[in-house]
Amino acid sequence: MILIQVILILAFAAIFLVALRSRSAHSVNAWKKIAFAVLMVVLVIAVLAPSMVGVVAQAIGVGRGTDLVLYLVSVTFAFYVVNQYLHAQEARNQLHQLARRIAIIEAQERYGMERLTVLASTRTTPAPGTTAEQPETLPPHA
Amino acid sequence: MRDVAFVVPVYNEAEVIGSVIRGVLETCPHVVCVNDGSSDDSADRILEAGGYLVNHPINMGQGAALQTGIEFARLLPGVTRFVTFDADGQHRVEDAVRMLRVLDSTDVDIVLGSRFLGEAIGASRAKRMLLKAAVRFSNLTSGIRLTDAHNGLRVFNRHVADTLRITAPDMTHASEIIELIAHNKYRFVEVAVTIDYSDYSVAKGQPAVNAVNIAVDTLLRKVSR
Repeated sequence: MILIQVILILAFAAIFLVALRSRSAHSVNAWKKIAFAVLMVVLVIAVLAPSMVGVVAQAIGVGRGTDLVLYLVSVTFAFYVVNQYLHAQEARNQLHQLARRIAIIEAQERYGMERLTVLASTRTTPAPGTTAEQPETLPPHA
Repeated sequence: MRDVAFVVPVYNEAEVIGSVIRGVLETCPHVVCVNDGSSDDSADRILEAGGYLVNHPINMGQGAALQTGIEFARLLPGVTRFVTFDADGQHRVEDAVRMLRVLDSTDVDIVLGSRFLGEAIGASRAKRMLLKAAVRFSNLTSGIRLTDAHNGLRVFNRHVADTLRITAPDMTHASEIIELIAHNKYRFVEVAVTIDYSDYSVAKGQPAVNAVNIAVDTLLRKVSR
């Protein structure tokens, strides 16, 4: 076995183990897990028998094996980018909802709903500073 | 006008927010200011001036701030009408009052300000042309015909406040609101308003190149919906 083959296979094995052991692994779609395992097997085969990649490439009309690998990597990367983008957006939306809840709860506490009714009927002119920071006068939480 | 709440998204507007709030308080006691993670002392100015302070713990964008402000304003007892208002002093309270009258005297759900029915004082020719192009783009993508697609002055009733869900956090929210008007079938009308383009508001406004971001986001939303 050539040195590069040993290095690559060890690297794949390490990635596979890390992916399996990650705490959030159970939340990942089962089909994605299967696809990932298949990918790992294919990668190991490709490393051990590079000529096989060439055969496959010829069979589907791509000139060289390296070209086929390049195309596959490009497609995989594009999927990865879109997937990550959607995940990031989802995470951002959740963060925003959480932050919004915090902001509103904090403001409700600052003004208090019962206190607010009084304020609303007396605040014909602005009452600077008097609207806030008097926690002892706030009503108990409903 | 105790049944009206002004919703003002605030991001680093310490210089002007106080006078904007005081201007609104002369006619309406409820000014909900959403401080969107400002790094200056906007929050103190809001409290001093007598507006409700709602503090975003992090900066989330103007669209997110509007949504937060509307959700807080809904909790204020007796509030049935809502106004979205810019913090930089480019809107006029008397325009909002006029729009509130339109909301009351007609059966529309939402009244939108338009600077092309009214005046845009101090707007450059390039700004005008860009805004007109934005209107054409909006009319094409939203299925609603408007004369001004990106005006922050809006007046709406409780039904809109209860059902509006702005998810676009940044400047794209203006387009999203128009799409939601179409999607939720709100009855709407445009009213001429005057926008004061002071040096301050022009400096604080978004750069023209941001139009590209808004256009791309709008098309993406169309595809993903």
